[in-house]
Amino acid sequence: MTEKQLDCALDLMRRLPPQQVEKNLSDLIDLVPDLCEELLASVDQPLRVLRDKQTGKDYLLCDYNRDGDSYRSPWSNTYDPAIADGAKPSDKLRDLEVTANSAFDSYREMYYEGGISSVYMWDLDHGFAGAILIKKAGDASTKIKGCWDSIHVIEVQEKTGGRNAHYKLTSTVMLWLQTNKAASGTMNLGGSLTRQLEKDCPLNEGNSHISNIGRMVEEMENKMRHTLNEIYFGKTRDIVNDLRSIVPLSEVNKQRNVANELKAKLESKN
Amino acid sequence: MDDYGEQISDSEKARIAHDFIIHSPPGEVETVMKDVRTLLNNDNTFVDGMMSALTKYRMDQFSPVSVDDGSVLITNHGKLDEGRFLDPKSQRSFKYNVSSKSASDVQPEQVDSSVEGWRSEIENSIKDYIKNYYPNGVCTVYGNSGDGGESVIIVCIEDHKFSPENFWNGRWRSEWHVTIDGGNAKVVGLLKTQVHYYEDGNVQLVSQKECKDNLTVSSEKQIADDVAKLLAKCEFDYQNAIIDNYRSMSTTTFKALRRQLPVTRTRIDWNKILGYQIGKEIGK
Repeated sequence: MTEKQLDCALDLMRRLPPQQVEKNLSDLIDLVPDLCEELLASVDQPLRVLRDKQTGKDYLLCDYNRDGDSYRSPWSNTYDPAIADGAKPSDKLRDLEVTANSAFDSYREMYYEGGISSVYMWDLDHGFAGAILIKKAGDASTKIKGCWDSIHVIEVQEKTGGRNAHYKLTSTVMLWLQTNKAASGTMNLGGSLTRQLEKDCPLNEGNSHISNIGRMVEEMENKMRHTLNEIYFGKTRDIVNDLRSIVPLSEVNKQRNVANELKAKLESKN
Repeated sequence: MDDYGEQISDSEKARIAHDFIIHSPPGEVETVMKDVRTLLNNDNTFVDGMMSALTKYRMDQFSPVSVDDGSVLITNHGKLDEGRFLDPKSQRSFKYNVSSKSASDVQPEQVDSSVEGWRSEIENSIKDYIKNYYPNGVCTVYGNSGDGGESVIIVCIEDHKFSPENFWNGRWRSEWHVTIDGGNAKVVGLLKTQVHYYEDGNVQLVSQKECKDNLTVSSEKQIADDVAKLLAKCEFDYQNAIIDNYRSMSTTTFKALRRQLPVTRTRIDWNKILGYQIGKEIGK
């Protein structure tokens, strides 16, 4: 029963207005508390920000740096609120995490020219996994509010011999746009898209885990940016124009008839 | 029941089920109901609550229903007792099945004759407008007398397009209240658009706008024509403003969030980034 319930719960989250994802998720957990951990791990929420008290740097919160009610900072590797033995990556993986954080910090600066990024890693039996998070909020001075949240989860399996590894990337981008103008009233366009990519990559002098993951994330985000642009500003706009025609339908039909007649004439000539 | 997690009360469960159902995107309430039922373990305790949520949803969404050879909208303005709804145009009422979305037991219905002249004239004058701008538009016009002797004409317009095989659905709704009092008519409108796109994701457009205006009244025919013109103008302006917003969201807001490529116009050299980072560390 529980597996079927999880499917239904995830289906609901795919349908209910994403603008209320936090409320819907907390209601869903109240309704089926047994699914709490699974839902928190599989439903992406807008990224929240916390300031590291030791370094003064902001970091992003998600299920992957949460232990109980505390969150781990990638900068100081400490939990807030402090807890006795919160989960942490092994020393070796922590070194990789530190490097990944500075590499993706540069990546963020080059593509986003602002915003916040955080990378979290955790050990797996035959490798490790990581979450690469980026958040960028738009300039508040314009009339349209915008916000971008990227959540990339990568699972890395090291092959025996250590000369290559298998990477499985699941990426979710949430994009939120909002405006309230006299002419249009309120307009709230938001939600998320999720994509997956699996790849084997070599590990050698020119290809470290970080550069392999970096290239995959970069390729994925570039593709998703293109898809988001098409779906948000092309597809949903076209659907609005399918619901109500901006020009009289009689005009649309007239133009269609003229085009058809022209086509018929050209065809009869051939 | 197990003791994992905190169990909430039945009334809280019913509240959540109700919220989920009424917030279903256009064309998806049946699937949402099925999901909710499974999450409630098919517990019959919640059936009545879910059905009343579904009734509210049908009315909120202006669900169209075929009655004989015409289409009527299910709205709270046409709600009668015992699950019946009014078709003001044919002056009949019918029983509406919220699950199968069908009408039955059609009966003649008494309408308010003092406002029928205004009502039918307005209905007539907007008929061509609906036909000319809404590919699948359905319109229902109600007439009521207000407490102060004024005539209140309510125009409800609905158009939807469901394409679940392509993972999208959308609905347009307008609700106009025309209050005719002596030589003046107050016109208030609420226009709503909702679009859901859900192929490997969940993207929704939720938009609404309120419009207000005043018209002078000299005859039934004149006010009906002026109302039709005003509706057409307001709805065009709203749609146009949405299209404008799409343009600026795409060309300005979206671009400012994330670049297509870095300033260098080339992809990142990840080995260089790492080298640069190490260099920075050593330089400290």
